[in-house]
Amino acid sequence: MNNHLRRLREQRAWSQGDLAEQLEVSRQTINAIETGKYDPSLPLAFRIAKLFRQPIEAIFEPGKE
Amino acid sequence: MARSNRRSYDLRIMLAMAVYVTVFLMFWPLVRSATDPLAKFAYALAPVPPLLYVIWVMALRILRSDELQQRQHLIGLGVATVVVSIVSIVAGFLAAADLLALDTTSIILVWIFPLMIIAYSVARGYAARRYGGSAMCDDDERMPAYQRFLFGAAISLFIAGIVYLRNGAHPAVDIIVAMALVQIIAATLFGVRYARRERLPPP
Repeated sequence: MNNHLRRLREQRAWSQGDLAEQLEVSRQTINAIETGKYDPSLPLAFRIAKLFRQPIEAIFEPGKE
Repeated sequence: MARSNRRSYDLRIMLAMAVYVTVFLMFWPLVRSATDPLAKFAYALAPVPPLLYVIWVMALRILRSDELQQRQHLIGLGVATVVVSIVSIVAGFLAAADLLALDTTSIILVWIFPLMIIAYSVARGYAARRYGGSAMCDDDERMPAYQRFLFGAAISLFIAGIVYLRNGAHPAVDIIVAMALVQIIAATLFGVRYARRERLPPP
């Protein structure tokens, strides 16, 4: 799965730590999502979408699988 | 888990392990000379409470982790279960066939928990690396590895001092001092790495 999390975060000038704090996860989790090493659960994806005020499909999109 | 909680976790684990080592070296040997059955039980089980505390603190840590960290803990625990199971069954079959001399009635059981913790730590570290973290979990939410090793070395030297004052020159003192030296070397290596990382801009 691909995502635009890094772009959205950088648009708001947030560090990974800032975003992690708002989502109540670790900075490592944010880094893993941004680098495509980890796909978040549906509840976390919804929290991300709510935080950025965008639909989930605008942030996450299917990969090549 | 919040940064303060992670640092508190590190401190609690290290202090509990220090209590465990102290109790194991100071009180457990008294079990051989004790005559009262109750005293024997008390001395024999004296190292257990600090270990139960460690398990409780670890369980709390896992419960308070986020979803990726819980996945890493699950991988670590799964691998540890497989390693301990394989070692146990292979050693068990070899011992049953008289191909391996195991004192299965006593001290061998004590090594199951450390083996499980070592396998869990290695596997969890590997999983953390796989998801872009550090094998030593040396992230910004936790006490840096070099501080953990330094603290561990200080505790080891403190325990060695207690054992030396109580028993004089003793093989246990040499072992603990050697452990402290290894921790100081590790602290130096991780300290250099930490200093280099601190110069890099944050992601």
